[in-house]
Amino acid sequence: MADFISVTALNRLARQVLAASEPLNSLIVCGEISNFTRHYKSGHLYFTLKDAESAIKTVMFRDKARLLRFAPQNGILVLAYGHVTIYERDGAFQLYADYLRPFGAGAAQMAFDALKKKLEGEGLFAPEHKRPLPPIPHCIGVVTSKTGAALQDVKNVISRRWPLTQLLLAPVSVQGIEAEDSIVAGIRALDSDPRAELILVTRGGGSKEDLWVFNSERIARAVYACRKPVVSAVGHEIDYTILDYVADLRAPTPSAAAELCVPDQQRIRAEICSLGENIQKNIQDSLRMCYNTLRSVRPAETITCVHAAMDARQKLLTDCAAQLDRAGKAMLRQKQAALGSAAELAAALNPYTVLARGYAMVEDQKGHCRTVMELRAGEEIHLRGAQALAHCTVNQVRKLDTHEESTEIL
Amino acid sequence: MKKAPKSFEEALARLQTILTQMQDTPLAESVKLYAEAADLIQYCNVALDKARLQVEEIDARLQPAGKDPLTTED
Repeated sequence: MADFISVTALNRLARQVLAASEPLNSLIVCGEISNFTRHYKSGHLYFTLKDAESAIKTVMFRDKARLLRFAPQNGILVLAYGHVTIYERDGAFQLYADYLRPFGAGAAQMAFDALKKKLEGEGLFAPEHKRPLPPIPHCIGVVTSKTGAALQDVKNVISRRWPLTQLLLAPVSVQGIEAEDSIVAGIRALDSDPRAELILVTRGGGSKEDLWVFNSERIARAVYACRKPVVSAVGHEIDYTILDYVADLRAPTPSAAAELCVPDQQRIRAEICSLGENIQKNIQDSLRMCYNTLRSVRPAETITCVHAAMDARQKLLTDCAAQLDRAGKAMLRQKQAALGSAAELAAALNPYTVLARGYAMVEDQKGHCRTVMELRAGEEIHLRGAQALAHCTVNQVRKLDTHEESTEIL
Repeated sequence: MKKAPKSFEEALARLQTILTQMQDTPLAESVKLYAEAADLIQYCNVALDKARLQVEEIDARLQPAGKDPLTTED
C-alpha cells in the first residue's frame, strides 16, 4: 500500500513550505477589489483581489481594517500589504492583508467615474428629484463626527444665524472602515426620526483617501432613498464626492452648508421691523382717513341741522296733541247732550209718572201688571196709584162695548 | 387678546396676513389687528433674543451594519 498522508497533514505541510518561502511572508500585491464583504458580526473584510488573468482570496482582520483611512469598494485598484499562506481548514490559498491603499489616483478616479456614470444613468442625480430645503427649519439632522471641526463650524454658524433651530446629531465615524456603515446608519436614523426636517452630511477637509468614503455607493443610495432633503458638505470647495451629486444641495464647506440650511436672523429681524413699520403706517393712514371723513361731514352744522329738525317735529307733536284734546272734549260734550235728551225721553215715558195724574195700575198678588180684561170676580188685586196701594176684591168684570169705551176716554 | 402663536413661523406668517388684512378693513378692526401685531412683533423679537442653539444626539446604530443588499458588480 502506497504511503499517504491526511488532508490535514497536507495542508499543514503546504503551509509550512509557504511559510519558509521568504517572499511570501511580506509582500505587496496590486489588484482590483471584487466580491467585497464586511462580516457584519466579526468586522473582518473578505474580498478577492484580481487582475486581468488571476484572482486571490484576501482577508483583512478587523483590528487591521479599523486603521484604514478609506472605504475599500469593488472596482478600486489597491496595493495590499501582507503575507500569503494556506488556510488549513479549507486548503485555501489566501492573502492576509495588513494594510490597503488605493493604487494611483487614476485608479481611484476611474472607479469614481464608473460609479458616477452608473448612478447618473439610474437617475440618482436627476435635478427633478432634488427637493427644496424648508425655509425655516426647526430641527436639522447632522451626520458627522462628534469631535470633528465640521460640527463646530456648523454649530457656530447656526448659533449666529438662526439659534431657534435645534441640531439633532447622529455621531458617526467619518473615516476608516466603519465610516460607510456608520454614515449610512446615521442617515437612515435621522430620516426616520420625526424631528429632523432635513439632513446635513458633513465632514471637514482631509486627504483624498480621508474623503473617499463619501464616494460610497451605499451612502449614495441611502441619501437617494431619504424622504427628507439632504445637504452635503464634504471637505473643501474643490472636493467633489458622489454624495455631492446625489444630495439635494451641495455646499462647498460645512460652514457654507450651515448658512444654506437656516435663514439669517438679521434679515428676518429686518423683515419683522419692516412689517411693523408697514402696519404702523397702515393704521395711521386709516386714522387719517377716518378723521378726514369726519371733518368732511362738518359735525357742528350737522348737529344744528339735527336740532332744527327736532324742533320742527316737536312743534308738530304739540299741535297734534292739542287737536286731539279738542276733538276729545267736543266728542264728550256731544255724547253728554245725547245722553241728557235720552234721559228726558225716558222720564217722559215712565209709567209711574202717569200715576201722579190720578191713574192706577192693576196688579195681582205677586205684583205683576194685569189687564182688566184678565181679572175674574172674587180675585184679590192691588190698585197702585201715586204714593198709595189699595187692596181690593173684584166683584164683577164686565166687558164694555166699543162705544162705551170711547165715551169713557172722552 | 388672542393666544400666543405656536411657533416663530406662525407668528411671522400671521404678521404678513395682518398687513394684508389691514389694507381693507374698518377702523375698529384695524385697531384690534394693530394690537395683535404689536404682540406678535414682541413675541418674535423675544424668541430670537432668547434663542440658544440646542444640540441633541441620537443613537445611529439602530440597524445592524451590513444588512442592506450589497451592491456589487458582475
